[in-house]
Amino acid sequence: MQLEEIKKLANLARIDMSEEEMKEIAKDFDSILAYVRQVQEVSVKQDLAEKKSEDYFLYNVMRDDVITNKRGEYRDLIMAEMPDVQDGYLKVKQIL
Amino acid sequence: MKINLKELTIEKAHESFKNGEYTVTDLVNEYLKVIKEKNKEINAYLEVYDDVLIQAKKAEEMFKNGTATLMTGIPIAIKDNILFEGHIASASSKILENYTATYDATVIKKLKNAGAVIIGRTNMDEFAMGVSTENSAYGVTKNPYDTKRVPGGSSGGSCACVAMNGALVALGSDTAGSCRQPASFCGVVGLKPTYGSVSRYGLIAMGSSLDVIGAIGKNISDVQIVFDFIKGQDKMDSTSISSEFYKKKIFTKPVIGIPRDFIKEGVDDRILVNFEETIEKLKSAGYLIKDIELPYVKYAVPAYYIITPAEISANLARFDGIRYGLSEKADKLFDVYTKSRGKGFGKEVRRRILLGTYVLSHGYHDAYYNKANAVRKLIINDYNKAFEQVDLILTPTTTGPAFKIGEKINDLVKMYLEDIFTSPANMAGFPAVSIPSGFVEEDGKKLPLGIHFTAPFLREDILFTIGKDFEKLI
Repeated sequence: MQLEEIKKLANLARIDMSEEEMKEIAKDFDSILAYVRQVQEVSVKQDLAEKKSEDYFLYNVMRDDVITNKRGEYRDLIMAEMPDVQDGYLKVKQIL
Repeated sequence: MKINLKELTIEKAHESFKNGEYTVTDLVNEYLKVIKEKNKEINAYLEVYDDVLIQAKKAEEMFKNGTATLMTGIPIAIKDNILFEGHIASASSKILENYTATYDATVIKKLKNAGAVIIGRTNMDEFAMGVSTENSAYGVTKNPYDTKRVPGGSSGGSCACVAMNGALVALGSDTAGSCRQPASFCGVVGLKPTYGSVSRYGLIAMGSSLDVIGAIGKNISDVQIVFDFIKGQDKMDSTSISSEFYKKKIFTKPVIGIPRDFIKEGVDDRILVNFEETIEKLKSAGYLIKDIELPYVKYAVPAYYIITPAEISANLARFDGIRYGLSEKADKLFDVYTKSRGKGFGKEVRRRILLGTYVLSHGYHDAYYNKANAVRKLIINDYNKAFEQVDLILTPTTTGPAFKIGEKINDLVKMYLEDIFTSPANMAGFPAVSIPSGFVEEDGKKLPLGIHFTAPFLREDILFTIGKDFEKLI
């Protein structure tokens, strides 16, 4: 794997990393991808043709959109975890 | 007062509380003594909560006013990725080093209601990514049987803590074997329940299609009791299911299937010998053993290392340095994200997030992520077919006994292969348990081994039945 590609991934994942570590990861990726690529040798279509999707118990779970807690019930606890607060608001760096 | 912690069970402790032989505070103090003596070296606990004696007093009240349950006063440790309101939950990561849980996980709420005494939080691989606790930001946990060796992972702290008698039972989480592989290395029982059978509300997520909270104890009966208290559908977790969700087969004595082809390669000879002895013991107890085939199960680990990093990269996007956790100062918002995440996440976490970002990226999505999901369905097919013929599937839990600290740290694929026998149950969602099956001797130390049973959906009951039978045979 090329270093440039790792740089792109680190940027997409929003992780600041040293170039040295990215080089290391590029090497790691070669061995990990060589290993996981095994799945590509499996011919999936034939084996799954006989099975229907409902055999895998996947379906959506819906619920009514109702408020289950009291207004402000967790506000102080949650605000206490915030790194930067001003006048009851979470403060972030300028976005635009 | 001296209590024999080594031989203690939940039922024995409950009897002693009831007949006044000792109080909850007495028992908790015994455990605190052990922790004080051993934890410095073992590093099983990251923190012992400062309110344990208050919890003990509350439990004693429950005995006095007649509301006590079997779990009342039982000292339990929790993995550091389970939220306990007002207490730090760090997932053994620097990014959550000072994060105080703002609410109780459902399992904690249930344990509190039952009157259990939650002793402290245990060490783990950071965000549960690892098989040795070597990926913890707070140092490795040592195996109580040989402190040069790892306890396994990622619930290594929980298993080591039970093994060193630092708590009677513990909670872990299991995404590929994280309750069972360390249980095997530490000579305790580790249960991974059916996917969805225990609420994950308040569990710090890793791989959401695989994660489940599990129980760890010295014996099957203790693990069964903990599971009975924490299980159940929860409206706060839409992936949780009721006990009626799957149809159950009726039979008298379970038939055990052995996937022989799967067990041949890369397994320590001593494990194979122990495994054959296990089979003979089960035969002598009247169990019918049948050979089965699981042709696609060998792809479980490679498929796992595509699906899980993909889910990790999405789940861990929430740690952004903005709302909670570590926040690094920077001039631009973008740099707040990258610096907080770069500094807060450890090496293995960074690597897996990047790997997940890669397998989900345009151009690779079909070849990796979609393919791995298709393979996952084939693995489920394998199991469903096998469970038409047999009621349990038996393998060793691990390919060898506990390895040395540092031994595998530079060989990622070797490390990932630790989960070869345990990850299929997560990929398919089935319940599974690791039970101690004997010891091998190395460097003059006794090292525990484990065997691993997998059962059909929601059939933890068969795991408990055979587990109790097996404990008598060993």
